[in-house]
Amino acid sequence: MRLTRKQFVVGSAASALSVAGVYELVDRLGSSPSRVAAGSHPPEQHMLEGVRVLRDNGVEVVVPPLHHEVVTAKLRVGETPRELREARRVLEDALRKLDERFEPTPAGLGVTVAWGLPYFERYVPRQTAKHLPLDKRASAERGTPVRVLEDAIRFPSDPEKTRLEDNDVAMLLRSDSLDHVASGAKALFDDLQPLFRATSIRKGFVGGGFDGGPGLPKQMATAAGIDGADLIPHGAELFFGFTSTQKAGLGPSKIANLETLGYADLGPSAYFARGTHLHLSHIFEDLAAWYLALDFQSRLDTTFRPGLAVPEGVQTVPQGPRHAQSESDVRRDYVHYRQIGHSGSLQPASRLDRDVVADDGTRYPRGTAVPQRADFNTLDNPFFWTADEAGDAWSEVPAAGLHFVVFNPTSDDFRRGRLAMDGVMPDGTRLAFGTSSSGQGFNRLLTTTHRQNFLVPPRAHRSFPLSELAA
Amino acid sequence: MTSRRALVVGAFVAGLALTLTGCSRSGPDSPLTAASTSRSASAACPAAWRSDWRQLANRVESPVFCPAWLPKPLNGRFAGSPFNSRAFGKDRSYLISYAWVDASSPGSVNEVHVVLRGYPGRTRIPVCDDTLTVSGKTVHKSIPCFNDPKGTKRFGRNVVTMYTANQGADLWHVLYAWHYRGSLYSVSEHVIAPYTYDQVVANLDRIMRRLALVQPSA
Repeated sequence: MRLTRKQFVVGSAASALSVAGVYELVDRLGSSPSRVAAGSHPPEQHMLEGVRVLRDNGVEVVVPPLHHEVVTAKLRVGETPRELREARRVLEDALRKLDERFEPTPAGLGVTVAWGLPYFERYVPRQTAKHLPLDKRASAERGTPVRVLEDAIRFPSDPEKTRLEDNDVAMLLRSDSLDHVASGAKALFDDLQPLFRATSIRKGFVGGGFDGGPGLPKQMATAAGIDGADLIPHGAELFFGFTSTQKAGLGPSKIANLETLGYADLGPSAYFARGTHLHLSHIFEDLAAWYLALDFQSRLDTTFRPGLAVPEGVQTVPQGPRHAQSESDVRRDYVHYRQIGHSGSLQPASRLDRDVVADDGTRYPRGTAVPQRADFNTLDNPFFWTADEAGDAWSEVPAAGLHFVVFNPTSDDFRRGRLAMDGVMPDGTRLAFGTSSSGQGFNRLLTTTHRQNFLVPPRAHRSFPLSELAA
Repeated sequence: MTSRRALVVGAFVAGLALTLTGCSRSGPDSPLTAASTSRSASAACPAAWRSDWRQLANRVESPVFCPAWLPKPLNGRFAGSPFNSRAFGKDRSYLISYAWVDASSPGSVNEVHVVLRGYPGRTRIPVCDDTLTVSGKTVHKSIPCFNDPKGTKRFGRNVVTMYTANQGADLWHVLYAWHYRGSLYSVSEHVIAPYTYDQVVANLDRIMRRLALVQPSA
């Protein structure tokens, strides 16, 4: 089943929101996995309940929702307290109705509202100065106050043209049902056009092959005529063929909350407790290079660590604490092979380097992963729809990529992990690589087009956070 | 997107010191629609090419496989355009490369590149040196020149194994390899526009169906 190239809807954001385009195929290709029912909505916006865990190759794997959509926007709202109060009421009313209609599970609809620095600086600067938490760890290291939410930066392996965005708000919608995602997008953007001017719509998919079948990445890429799609392994969770949602490789429960690991000084009223930080980026993936230039062992070396011994064809590789690499392990790989793996290089920055007892008494052992990833594959180029086709270099031609969505406790925590991926270790050691060096893990096959950081308030403050504190 | 050229590894095929790396040599400007080869159903080496392939068989003192069909706009002669090059190893191994490149459209390259190899007297897959130089240190890693087998197909008496991760002049190519009387032979084609992966596989199938065995003269 090959799609024609022109499957996208051009025009207004409203029309793009209501049409799935190439992604309608997802519903026809993927069967929804069985799910567990959930209770009430948790205080955290970013946590999904009822997420199924299965075993693959003896490894526990989290089964993510099949469909994802992110809508970014700038606000049309005025800056007066009265206008903000009314906007907050309207948005919260829409969100509450979605909460009543859908449980916060893959079978229902996960809705996460995240706010960018432009919102905080323009609409609530005084309250932000008082209540936006400080990152204690980053502040101590840099010798200057550092907030938990910082502007995104270009990393060493990013192209110069990587666009650092300035959206006011981003909304993440996740579900096994495309209809549920569409309902959420309509309720929040189509019906609330007086509040938001959409800047981009980003859509995608993940998984679908754990219970047999080729999986959505292979089917969708093949249908879209992506170079290298035929070589995606049967059942792969993502385009690159390896499972990436090993339970031990994802941050557990509340670990990405601002308050959990003690990285943040929450301020006088702990307004953002139960909130977190979101990094959003879009990355092109060169599938043809991945499968035609690298053999299975080279793909293993690149994805995990050099010399990893795994039987040919295995997709799910253990990523538990005892499999995680330390800084010295990564340095040793660099000295010996002049190569670092993607996961291995991240782990010194993304895993706990000691046992931590959280504020609620939960003990997180050394080696526990901190980031909670919610990334998904896409055929967007780079977005499904954009308000700025020229600025975003938009094309109707499908392209293999990833919308990277990850929750970390702070912007700095994300920055540390991403720098490690470029060979900058947490202690500051730089493992020198040239641009596009084949020793540098995934990076030479990835092209990041857009980045932005957001703050995810707790559910109680998800609508126009801090605005109710206006004088 | 990552440049394919940037990913070409410096490959040295053991026992076959070939200067070809990848598909970057410019080719003739003949249009893709140009007539290419004989379409006869027989598996005889076309008369216009036969002497070239006979000379090759004589030089390596071993049977060689002449492709009676090649994807447009290639033809099977050893001279003119779009012939690319040939190379020989001290162990009598050989490489015949046909390449056509059209970079006349800004931002896009059309390329047709087919490589035929033979390793007389040996059946093992050759070993390539995947060289990585970072910060002044060079690391050599031996890797199979043909890897990631994707199953077998039968074409007459030849059973080929399809490989999708290949090195050296076969980088970015889908490659078919087979044994014939104690020797290893291969044919590969670059996966790049104008041909898709599926079309490249179809091209290789058609090449295999139309292979003609050419024996040395004496």
